[in-house]
Amino acid sequence: MLRRGGQARDRRDAVVRPLVLDEARLIARIAARDLRAFEQLYRIYHPRLTRFLTNILRRPQLVEEAVDDALMVVWKRPEGYNGESKVSTWIFAIAYRIALKARSRHEEPVEDLQAWSRASPEAGPEQDLGNRQIQEILSNAMGQLSAEHRAVVDLTYFHEAGYREIAEIMDCPVGTVKTRMHHARRHLKAMLADRFGTDWR
Amino acid sequence: MTARRGSPSDRDGHDGVRDLLPWYVTGQLNEAETARIEAHLDGCAECQAELRFEERLESEVARLPFEVEAGWARMRRRVEGDHAEQPVLRRLQARAPWLGWGVAAVLMLGLGVLLAPSLRPAPTIDAYHALSAAAAPEPGNVVVIFRPDTTEKSMREALKASGARLVDGPTSADAYVLHVPAAERGAALANLRGRREIILAQPVDSGGAP
Repeated sequence: MLRRGGQARDRRDAVVRPLVLDEARLIARIAARDLRAFEQLYRIYHPRLTRFLTNILRRPQLVEEAVDDALMVVWKRPEGYNGESKVSTWIFAIAYRIALKARSRHEEPVEDLQAWSRASPEAGPEQDLGNRQIQEILSNAMGQLSAEHRAVVDLTYFHEAGYREIAEIMDCPVGTVKTRMHHARRHLKAMLADRFGTDWR
Repeated sequence: MTARRGSPSDRDGHDGVRDLLPWYVTGQLNEAETARIEAHLDGCAECQAELRFEERLESEVARLPFEVEAGWARMRRRVEGDHAEQPVLRRLQARAPWLGWGVAAVLMLGLGVLLAPSLRPAPTIDAYHALSAAAAPEPGNVVVIFRPDTTEKSMREALKASGARLVDGPTSADAYVLHVPAAERGAALANLRGRREIILAQPVDSGGAP
């Protein structure tokens, strides 16, 4: 397994792996109506789902509702987790389905292209200019992808989901996941190479 | 297409390996897949280049998130603000109007429309500076949100300890805009974020400000 350090990974890990918990045990406690267990789970998944669904819905109000709705399903129907997959796969799949329904209810495509273009809160005068340019190009390139492609990229790189897990979350064949990732990478690479040349080829 | 040196003759095998590289980089493949990729990488210059690209792309994409932070600050307020006395369903369904998505959106947009006047030397700020000091008006470069029960004394101590001056607030979203010396903003933010009475402290930059 390749592991690299750096601030970016540290920041991402703070969201993806805030605690080493037996999440299946949390679900069992939630099934026993343990509010503290639900609160723990909520704290773990709210930021993860917010990011994930922002990629799909791109409207803050819809994201907020969808995240809460997804976690409410966990609270109301914890027995829906059958133990065969990771807890994260089950919860992300719930959130993805809710997001697709929310998107279909609000049919007009509101592609908030600016969302990917906003500066990171960590970005500032102290941030290296080259890094900021890379982030800007990448942000724009991500904004040009479809919601499904962005979801695959985000699940892969940020949430570190495997392709089989992503297929389960998105309820599609693993080949579709690979194809979406292939096209997304090709697009991102072309955009980066176009701006930065051979360094990104 | 770049020629591959020493790559396997099986084109499908090459494509299959290439398409798995994202999950190789994030360590999400099983042992057999990992071994297959590493064996292929040894002799395929094209996939070696792809791997280098993957590593950089993964790192850059992982740096993109930020909306989570504002969202999480809002949720932390909701979860911690009204504690265990209320049924959890009501807590989760309740909305915290003073710290809703409006705030998150505003913060994400660099304080956008609602706070934009606060980031410029607005007339009211001019007046404030004219009365208190001869210095030119300073634009806000940090926004903070205090817990609702924070006392004036605690707020004052937080500002002093972080070297911050109040520029504007409370806004309609109960946020405060502060100015801290640009060179010390990182330390000031760290100080503010470490305080219990502060829910959120974010750097912001006005249009022409450094």
